[in-house]
Amino acid sequence: MSDGLLIVVIAGLVATACGLLGPFLVLRRMALLSDAVSHAVLPGIVAVWLVAQTRAPLPVIIGAAAFAVLCVLGIDALRATGLVASDAAIALVFPALFSLGVLGVTRYAAGIHLDLDSTIYGEIAFVPFDTVWLGGYEVARSGLVLGGVVLLNLVLVGLLWKELKATTFDPQFGATVRLHPRLLSRLLLVASAVTAVAAFDAVGAILVVTLLIVPAATAYLLTDRLVVMVALAIGIGWLGAAAGYAVALPMDSSIAGAMGLVCTACFVLALLLSPRHGLLTRRWRRLRVHPAP
Amino acid sequence: MLMSSTETRTASALEVRGLTVSYRSAPVLWEVDCAFPAGHLSAIVGPNGAGKSTLLKAALGLVPADAGRVLIDGVEGRGALDRVAYVPQAESVDWDFPITVREVVEMGRYRATGWFRRVGRADRAIATECLERVGMTGFAKRQIGQLSGGQRQRVFVARALAQRAPVLVMDEPFAGIDARTQEDLLGLLGELRDAGGSVVVVHHDVAQVRAAFDWTLLLNVRVLRCGPTADVLTSDAVRAAYGADVTWTA
Amino acid sequence: MDGVSELASEPSALSTAIGLPYTDAVVVAGALVLGITSGVLGAFAVLRRRSLVGDAVAHATLPGVCIAFLVAGVKDVPGLLLGAAVAGLVAALLMVGIERAGRIRPDAAIGVVLSGFFAFGVVLLTHLSNSSDADQAGLENYLFGQAAGLLERDVAVMAALAAVALLVVGVLRRALTTTLFDPAFAGAIGLPVRVLETLMTALLVVAVVIGVRVVGAILMVAMLVVPTVTARQLADRFPSVLVLAGLVGAAVGVTGALTATRGQLPTGPVVVLTGFAVAVAALLLAPGRGVLWRARRLAARRRTVRRDAVLAQPDAPVSGLRDRLARAGLRRRGLLAADGTLTAAGQVAAAETAERRALWTAWLEHGPSISLPDAREPDPADLTGSLGPEAVAQLREAVRGQVVSGYASYGTRIHSRPPEGAR
Repeated sequence: MSDGLLIVVIAGLVATACGLLGPFLVLRRMALLSDAVSHAVLPGIVAVWLVAQTRAPLPVIIGAAAFAVLCVLGIDALRATGLVASDAAIALVFPALFSLGVLGVTRYAAGIHLDLDSTIYGEIAFVPFDTVWLGGYEVARSGLVLGGVVLLNLVLVGLLWKELKATTFDPQFGATVRLHPRLLSRLLLVASAVTAVAAFDAVGAILVVTLLIVPAATAYLLTDRLVVMVALAIGIGWLGAAAGYAVALPMDSSIAGAMGLVCTACFVLALLLSPRHGLLTRRWRRLRVHPAP
Repeated sequence: MLMSSTETRTASALEVRGLTVSYRSAPVLWEVDCAFPAGHLSAIVGPNGAGKSTLLKAALGLVPADAGRVLIDGVEGRGALDRVAYVPQAESVDWDFPITVREVVEMGRYRATGWFRRVGRADRAIATECLERVGMTGFAKRQIGQLSGGQRQRVFVARALAQRAPVLVMDEPFAGIDARTQEDLLGLLGELRDAGGSVVVVHHDVAQVRAAFDWTLLLNVRVLRCGPTADVLTSDAVRAAYGADVTWTA
Repeated sequence: MDGVSELASEPSALSTAIGLPYTDAVVVAGALVLGITSGVLGAFAVLRRRSLVGDAVAHATLPGVCIAFLVAGVKDVPGLLLGAAVAGLVAALLMVGIERAGRIRPDAAIGVVLSGFFAFGVVLLTHLSNSSDADQAGLENYLFGQAAGLLERDVAVMAALAAVALLVVGVLRRALTTTLFDPAFAGAIGLPVRVLETLMTALLVVAVVIGVRVVGAILMVAMLVVPTVTARQLADRFPSVLVLAGLVGAAVGVTGALTATRGQLPTGPVVVLTGFAVAVAALLLAPGRGVLWRARRLAARRRTVRRDAVLAQPDAPVSGLRDRLARAGLRRRGLLAADGTLTAAGQVAAAETAERRALWTAWLEHGPSISLPDAREPDPADLTGSLGPEAVAQLREAVRGQVVSGYASYGTRIHSRPPEGAR
């Protein structure tokens, strides 16, 4: 597999993992919570390195999940005081955790390929060179980990589809019939954190958030059916991966950044031209009904 | 106290002509023509979704109207806002805001004092008087968030009184407050009417309207009836509007 | 950093004024300006529940700064500030626009704008750092902040901008407060609410643009929130909250920035962690409002309730640890004898408790019919104190079966019956 194709595939895997979760996050008004949680994984990665001296995927993922849970619990605790609004709670907790991570990196993690820039936008160009041997084949390590995460998210969303759907639509009803909406929300956030840390090397923290939110928001403008929304989110993510790579090369700029940019462009197109909700389509329809004198 | 006007006034406190308001291509109010006479205690009633709140908001220019004219105390346009005091449903208020009861009531004097001059002694005296009228004198220094629902409503009424406008307009003031506050409020509105002021209230309790209000608009997107309460709130009219019978024992 | 060491050798007015070596003086001055502006102007975002809009604006400054660099070609602060401000303002307006377009909810709108602008910024940044001179380091500091790299004239520009913004707040204080507290009322008295809300957004952009240079784009939002959250716990009136927020912001900014410079750490994280600690301390310890205070009051109330229960029924079997503790407390006060019966003093206390309960029950039954001088409401623990002796006297009369003249209720009952002819 050529390096370029491999990069696109890796990015596509990230897009798939994010596209499975994104629609639920957007529909449950948890978009910014997922942003917060994705930032909070940085101290997890650093902590695992400090404690266990390893960057192997499994312990790092556990560390990330732990800090994601810490982030959510911290936000909930602040809200529970009754003295802090939800958005202010988010704005207090994730910067504090991210700061811990940054300080950890500058102090202790110099020289382990965890520089600050890559936490922001990753180093996907290096992914083809980081390989492991699997059954006689040399495979990119990121691909393996991400493949695992995609599978995990697929299982999560597939098994809990009905419950997720019901609690997204009407959490209060869901609570009364023991569907545990809050638990499901937390599961989604932990899954987002796991996805974020798996994709860290490839696309960095911020761009994971982009792939979580933007394709899902775009899909929301294009369809009313949940299944279609998930499929569209994944599709738009892949589009971003391929087109982003194509755009980034000649510009010699961050591949992950270009992918995010393409997804945003898709969102803008949908905002304007969506058959049902687009701004321009609505105006055109109104003009047809009430033609200007 | 509302300004009971000795100047020559039109007979209408609030007049609406051909008002149409729509929200995302569905009409919420359709060609509403109605006049609320001055010096009366008037009510706007109708089933849910009838557009009662929207009528008030459109009259005050808070919501854009597709068509129609509004005159408040005979005045149209921007000057009309000076003639009316509005007590909205407190949906957009931040209850944890750091503000005291007195400060809320003094907001009623802002339009009179202007935006850059301090609130003077006379204005503070007016605020104190309005607090007394609603029975909240001892609460002047309390935080708004520490009050009960009924106490908060009294504060907002005091703020409206402090504006000293000839017309008082209220959106569902009796919703969600305790019985004692409801009765105090009703008594206060009656006093204002007796002193020559004009009051227009959106109300959900048809029976109470029939018992206490002089003039009624029965609304359901369009005007069903508008006139003296006894003429408007007949059994037939109410049944037609609400789809059910309402019997009342005073 | 060459520019800095050059200037360090000249005597600097700022340095002499603050009494510290040049770099430290600049750090203090920069952090001071950041702290005051993000504190005061941040309040207009936090109290509107728009804190995360500040986050998006902060991320959005990145492409603005890059474009300004591309266009102006030089790394001077006023130009970059302008680029950041324009980008921030555009982002803020886009967020409102997307939300108003209908389907997308506020949080998703913020998320999309944040991600999109930031992705754009990252693309520009990497394009620049790969294409030309080594002067890009200054741009990258926009991500994590660097107070030590500031020059004296940078701080002067920031301070000037801050002064203008604060002046605007001071002049329009009343209009802004009214709109913040109750937008519906503000509209009804003729205030241009949309214009004022746009102004508040512009003030937010100013705060972000000033602060991003010091703490970085990613962490900026914390600096908007920490001062207001802290100040709200300690002050009760909006002007006091604003002033206090400015002070808290300044203190946190200066402390954090100095510590970071001394310790050779990136500024942003140190300032944010300092601020977080301060905010949490305020939330826990604020007199009256703080979590620990309320927990103490709640515990005291629970203890009183349990003690009253024991006083009311001293013969009831002991039920658990808390009950035992309550009895021990009563024994200590001489109200309960060693054998579990009431002492003389205990009987007096029990009688008082019974009286209080009877009064409260009387209130629940007859409350609506007694007249009160104003809108006071009863405190179950102290009916006499909260309602006044006349009201309590009326309650006692009502209990004794006397007719109390108070209010006639508009007794109305609505029976709903479907119209004839329907099923």
